[in-house]
Amino acid sequence: MFDYIISYYNYWMYAGLMMIGFYGMMAKRNLIKKIIGMNVFQSSIIFFYISSSVKRGGVTVPIIKHVAGAHGSHGVDVMQYANPLPHVLMLTAIVVMVATLGVALAVAILIYRRYHTLEEDEIILCMRKG
Amino acid sequence: MKFLSLITVLLVGVALVYGTLGMPRWGDPNSPAATHVSPYYLEHSMHDTATPNVVTSVLADYRGYDTLGETSVIFTAGMSCILLLRKRRKHKEEDHV
Repeated sequence: MFDYIISYYNYWMYAGLMMIGFYGMMAKRNLIKKIIGMNVFQSSIIFFYISSSVKRGGVTVPIIKHVAGAHGSHGVDVMQYANPLPHVLMLTAIVVMVATLGVALAVAILIYRRYHTLEEDEIILCMRKG
Repeated sequence: MKFLSLITVLLVGVALVYGTLGMPRWGDPNSPAATHVSPYYLEHSMHDTATPNVVTSVLADYRGYDTLGETSVIFTAGMSCILLLRKRRKHKEEDHV
């Protein structure tokens, strides 16, 4: 039972983190808090993918040690290195995350300049007035 | 509104935790992610690209066009930030300058 919990609790942590971010995106009225919730959401997905690259038992980062084996491809022990593909894909995802964060903050600044508030209900009230 | 979103979040969380029960265990060397595609890159990247760092060789060699597109994403985001946040001058001033 304890072994079962140990091997699955990381997924439950990511699920909890994703719930926190999702709740922040939906329930909070402040736009900055919504953006923070979006970032927590994205971070939980990135953690989830990164954790799928782990292999237990003396595994290091995916940097091939012996350069002498450059000509033969069979000298590499695959079980010695972590899975490199989730790292690469999440590098791309982090770039997209930073891009969306930057554009979202720029739009928030524009909204603040126009309406002088970041609360969603006050903005909607201002928009209805004219 | 808050109650409704709390209910939605709890439903999503229960579905996620139910989904994790079918996942491979943490750090399992025989998980599908570690056995199907990734051994190819670990074995052949030294021969194909002569780069010890497999992450770099996949990012810049095997998936070079993806990285090019990623750079265009960053460029688009930076340009849209500049265009949104710049100070708008009046057209008459621009004509004099």
